[in-house]
Amino acid sequence: MVSLDAHSLSARELNQAIKKAALTGSQITILNPQARHNIAVGILDSCKIDIDGSVGYYAASLMDGPEVNIDGNAGWALGENLMSGKIVLTKDAGASVAASMRGGDIVVGGNAGARAGISMKGGTLLIGGNAGFLTGFMMQKGRIVVCGDVGDAVGDSMYEGVIYVGGDIGSLGADAKIIEPSETDLIELWGLLEQSGINDRPRFRKIVSQKKLYHFDNLERLEMSAV
Amino acid sequence: MVQASSQVWSQQIIDDIHAKADLGRYRIRGFSTFQKVTHFDDLTFLSTGLTRFPLEGYKEKCSTQVTLGARYASEPLVLETPVYITGMSYGALSVSAKTALGKAASMVGSASCTGDGGMLPAEREASDKLIYQVLPSRYGFNPHHLLEAQAAEIVVGQGAKPGTGGMLMGVKVLDHIAESRDLPSGIDQRSPARHPDWLGPDDLAVKIEQIREATDGRIPVSVKLGACRVTDDVKLAAKAGADIVVVDSMLAGTGASGEALLDHSGIPTVPSIVMAREALRDMGLYGTVSLVASGGIRSGADMAKALALGADACAIGIGALVALNCNRDIPEADFESEVGVSAGQCHHCQTGKCPVGIATQDPELEKRLDSSEGADRVANFLNSMTMEAALLTRSLGKGDVRSLEPEDMVALTIEASAMARIPLVGTNKVFGWD
Ligand SMILES: Cc1cc2nc3c(=O)[nH]c(=O)nc-3n(C[C@H](O)[C@H](O)[C@H](O)COP(=O)(O)O)c2cc1C
Ligand code: SF4
Repeated sequence: MVSLDAHSLSARELNQAIKKAALTGSQITILNPQARHNIAVGILDSCKIDIDGSVGYYAASLMDGPEVNIDGNAGWALGENLMSGKIVLTKDAGASVAASMRGGDIVVGGNAGARAGISMKGGTLLIGGNAGFLTGFMMQKGRIVVCGDVGDAVGDSMYEGVIYVGGDIGSLGADAKIIEPSETDLIELWGLLEQSGINDRPRFRKIVSQKKLYHFDNLERLEMSAV
Repeated sequence: MVQASSQVWSQQIIDDIHAKADLGRYRIRGFSTFQKVTHFDDLTFLSTGLTRFPLEGYKEKCSTQVTLGARYASEPLVLETPVYITGMSYGALSVSAKTALGKAASMVGSASCTGDGGMLPAEREASDKLIYQVLPSRYGFNPHHLLEAQAAEIVVGQGAKPGTGGMLMGVKVLDHIAESRDLPSGIDQRSPARHPDWLGPDDLAVKIEQIREATDGRIPVSVKLGACRVTDDVKLAAKAGADIVVVDSMLAGTGASGEALLDHSGIPTVPSIVMAREALRDMGLYGTVSLVASGGIRSGADMAKALALGADACAIGIGALVALNCNRDIPEADFESEVGVSAGQCHHCQTGKCPVGIATQDPELEKRLDSSEGADRVANFLNSMTMEAALLTRSLGKGDVRSLEPEDMVALTIEASAMARIPLVGTNKVFGWD
């Protein structure tokens, strides 16, 4: 068990101390994060990190493996490009939570700002509250679950991922459509909510791509495939 | 004099309208702009005479080594020659081409750069110094790969398509490319223009810090800009903490871009370098933030002129592809039947039907490129560029390419004088600035 007081450390000192402790798979506690940016960046070993307070931009980003619990709010790009592991935030996340995430799980206990799950490439982003404008923008793979409402342009230009929304939908983005979730989808979703300690069971709607923007309507002769 | 045919409605314009009338959208092209703009040919060096004496042109020692990114990085990028291979994606290019480029860069002590498709293991292996791009799309982005890189390059824009993201036509998005980018196979991929996690220059500063944190401040962080509002953009990138700024001009190459952007946005290489230099000078950061120029650099003479205008190094794309055999009438290729134009006229990288196996994902076409022979040719070309630049440098009486300066040149046209901010030949006048 390693305890680090962020108050007396630069971002570099803090991250290097976390990396060192992570090598031995320790349990790491970070005190006084003071909503600073770039806390717990680039941690590539499995370990457990508890952050006692709010964090700024890019908290727990570029990570592969750790389990991170943050007791507070987070700024932009929490968990950006997560490869594997789990991040649990107790309160609200700023814009671009889980941006370009490739695997693992991110749970936001409160609300999320704009562009939640933007460019997601895998994994699961679960938001207990509401999510803002452009949720799932250009999302490629993976799953976003918003228990509350979403803002405008949800799922704009998305590819293969899925977005579940429990509350109201501001508006659909370009090429997105709403479908009814299947029974298997719902069973999976409820399992996820239960695991995450969320007791509500909202009536989820599922948003996927219409796939109308996958291709240009017309191609020039040489742009076509030979086969 | 009245001409024999319409100067406004040329045959080419008429054909273009016919094509769009059939297609119903903008047209897409690879290679580079078809615009004729002021370029390095409009500048000339003033080699020595009686006012100063030369170094032995062919032999005497002339240093070509440059160091990029020493502003904050503890391990800056040291290149034996002031030119590296620019980022060209695996996807736009074949594995054989990417590998050859990486190997060639290693052979001459320089670097290569990944591109909009992540880090190809074969390129990582071939390239001693590999620059890892951080693009808006983040296709295949992996923090483990970042740790293996010798520099990171945050791409804000590209000169061939400023203000838009990458593009790869479905014909090239075969299963292996789709998988590496987490995309459905066969889609006409139009990548994001904005980064997913930051928007403005203040956020960029935090992003740059993030990359530094992930890499313990070892490697330089570069910011690549499509040259448009160069003065402000360079200042903002430098203020955000960039170690290196790349200005990629409207002459820059591409694997695929909307023609409207390729030909009608951005500014040429010559003014881009000068504006970037002056922007850094205004901030007291010229010489601290490294400046890299790219777009239409074709020879050691172009490179020497870019350095004399103020760049610390150049990056080349198309030049390296041409050395690999782009547009060469090799026996296996039949340009006319395969891309509908003769060798020398090809600009069809977007179609994936590259007759020489470079800009393709078709295994049969790729066989036409021998990666190891290709690497030798590119290394030869890079060496020739280095030697040409050294030859010119010595002829100016200097023993280090880093000593090249604007005073070593004059402009051959009024426009070049204004853009390069050097006198027009035969006059003492810097047009537009006196
Ligand atoms: C085939 C090809 C693919 C390219 N792919 C990328 C890319 O993935 N990312 C990027 O930033 N620029 C890309 N570019 C642009 C180059 O990095 C560079 O800006 C340009 O080639 C420089 O101009 P030059 O080709 O005239 O030397 C590509 C260029 C070419 C020719
Ligand atoms: S020969 Fe190949 S690389 Fe060269 S322009 Fe044609 S398609 Fe592009």
